[in-house]
Amino acid sequence: MITEDANKLLDRFRQKGEDILGGSKYSTALGLNMAEDARLLSQGKMSEEQFVQKYEEKVSKEFNQHLAMVEEPKKDGPRWGMVIDLRKCVGCETCTVSCKAENLTPPGVSYNVVMVEEKGTFPNVNRVNIPRPCMHCDKPPCVSVCPVRATYKADDGIVVQDNDRCIGCRYCMVACPYGARSFDFGENYDEMTSYGDVTAPEHGMDRGEREKNKTPIGTVRKCNFCFHRLQRGEEPACVETCIGDARYFGDLDDPNSVVSKLASSPRAFRLKEEYGTKPRVIYLR
Amino acid sequence: MASIQAIKNEMQTEETPTVNVEKRFKIWIASLILLMVVGGGAIAYRAIEGLAVTNLNNFVPWGAWVAFYIFFVGLSAGAFLLSTLIFVFGMYQYEKVGRYALFTALVCMIVALTFILLDLGRMDRAFNAMTYWNVISILSWEVRFYLIYKVLLATELWFAMRKDLIILAMENKGWKGKLSKFLALGSTDISKEAVKKDHRWMKILGIIGIPIAIIGVHGGTGTLFAAVAAQPYWNTPLFPIIFVVSALVSGTALLIAMYVIQRKARGLDVDLPMVKALSTLMIFFLVIDLGLEFYEFLVAGLSQKPDKMAVLSVMFTGPYSWSFWGVQLFLGAVVPIFLVMSKRTNKSVGTLAIAAVLVVIGIIGVRFNIVVPTQIIHPLKWMPEGYYAPNLIEWLSSVGVVAMGLLIYSMGAKALPLEVSDEEVMDHV
Repeated sequence: MITEDANKLLDRFRQKGEDILGGSKYSTALGLNMAEDARLLSQGKMSEEQFVQKYEEKVSKEFNQHLAMVEEPKKDGPRWGMVIDLRKCVGCETCTVSCKAENLTPPGVSYNVVMVEEKGTFPNVNRVNIPRPCMHCDKPPCVSVCPVRATYKADDGIVVQDNDRCIGCRYCMVACPYGARSFDFGENYDEMTSYGDVTAPEHGMDRGEREKNKTPIGTVRKCNFCFHRLQRGEEPACVETCIGDARYFGDLDDPNSVVSKLASSPRAFRLKEEYGTKPRVIYLR
Repeated sequence: MASIQAIKNEMQTEETPTVNVEKRFKIWIASLILLMVVGGGAIAYRAIEGLAVTNLNNFVPWGAWVAFYIFFVGLSAGAFLLSTLIFVFGMYQYEKVGRYALFTALVCMIVALTFILLDLGRMDRAFNAMTYWNVISILSWEVRFYLIYKVLLATELWFAMRKDLIILAMENKGWKGKLSKFLALGSTDISKEAVKKDHRWMKILGIIGIPIAIIGVHGGTGTLFAAVAAQPYWNTPLFPIIFVVSALVSGTALLIAMYVIQRKARGLDVDLPMVKALSTLMIFFLVIDLGLEFYEFLVAGLSQKPDKMAVLSVMFTGPYSWSFWGVQLFLGAVVPIFLVMSKRTNKSVGTLAIAAVLVVIGIIGVRFNIVVPTQIIHPLKWMPEGYYAPNLIEWLSSVGVVAMGLLIYSMGAKALPLEVSDEEVMDHV
């Protein structure tokens, strides 16, 4: 009894799509078909192109509107960026150590450092730790000065160093406003047994044993966002090992990524913004 | 014909020098070769062991070799521009140093490029600088300008010497004549018209050379520094201009010193009025240079920009401030200005030559103070200060490269007709 009454009651308030569309001056069948196909489109069972082709003519006849594909900028793969939360950084230098271990950088070469800023006078003092990898600038000064184009901006946002072309003039080191580049003088951690036997898979490339006058010795080296790890779907070593989870890594072109959201935070800033280098490493103060 | 006869006489006096001069030359060459061997050892050590044997580090990646490189590029540009005063602007009162100026410019360029080759982390890839071209890199442009400039210098020098090479080839039956015959490249015309044509060519090449030397070679080298936004001390539009003016200073000074020293060493008399006129010119350039630098420092000091002030404080009060106050200002400017201006001292060729040598040394100080202090301050204020002083390997190899330059110069001055007789000068005046 109750269910029947309830159903009757519901029927009075339930509205049918056909009835609503029937009240409109436009074609009901067209609206329903389009809604149906829009569902297929969203499920990926129909391509946008097919949808536009199917309805372009009808839409313009019925609604006097032009149906066309949305011109999206061509996008191939992510453009990497990093966010470093200075409030979470405890200054433990794990990033520096893990970077050295991952990339097997020789003495004097460190892709990452952690700098310390102490402010105020006792008792009102404050200490901020500022980790500094390569900023992977969108307008990199190192790239514009290189006489042989040995360093360049890759499509994925990484500023790459081609150690097989670099002549070792060190102009890029002088031109980098962040001091993020180092020259490989060829020194080794001699106290470590078989240090030179293992090579870092920089740029996903194995160069064999580290020897005198052999690349990358005599060339300029820099952080490459652990490109070899990215290729395996892993985060850069410094991001993965950070004990305070202060580093975030992701696609800055993707508006839904964590880094994009953090980058729009009011706390976000970049180092030396006035230089117009447009760094892809963003800090949260 | 009279002038040819005069040249012949001049050459004869030079070819029968006293035993003393001949001996002096041999000792000079022997000591240069000795220095080259010592320097060559240091260079070989550096080539085998890499840049690790230098005092260069990741805070100060550019050091003594870069300073010497810009020093010699400056000498070259300065010497060349002085030669254009003669061959383009017709100041024939200086003509006696004209060919020396061109030859000096060429040798200095060879020395400069040797220094920069030494400085490369991968000397074996030096040719990459030619095969790859980054159009927005000023350094990439410089490499090409240096080459064009060298070719231009050699061509202009050839036109300047052409007539004398032909005469030498005819008169001299020894190795010098054979060399001259080879260098004359089959040219035989020594008529007045042909010589006039030579002078026209030299004028044309000089005119082409002026923008290449000013904008391309030395202004460009200054721009190489000035265009680096990360180094606030370099990053001023005045910087390339200071480079060019200091090039004129050092180039003129070097020519005075070279001219006086070699005339004296060969026991020949020195043209005092010309040396005096050149010294006055040198001081004129030096005063402009000092004025530009004064405003550079004044504006920086008054605007109180922290990053620039940090560099200036390293320069004025740091551990190597003696090179600024002592070498660059006192020895390189105050003393020579006094020596040339004072009526008591400017009548002696010796004092004027000392003034010129001091100016050259002062400019070495200028070049070091351009390259090093700004790098001591890290671009990020939270980083510690760097430190750099050239070590023994860098000094020895530098001595070797300079000795190589002097050897090329001495051999060239002996073998090539770089002297110009008084009669020939009179001809053009």
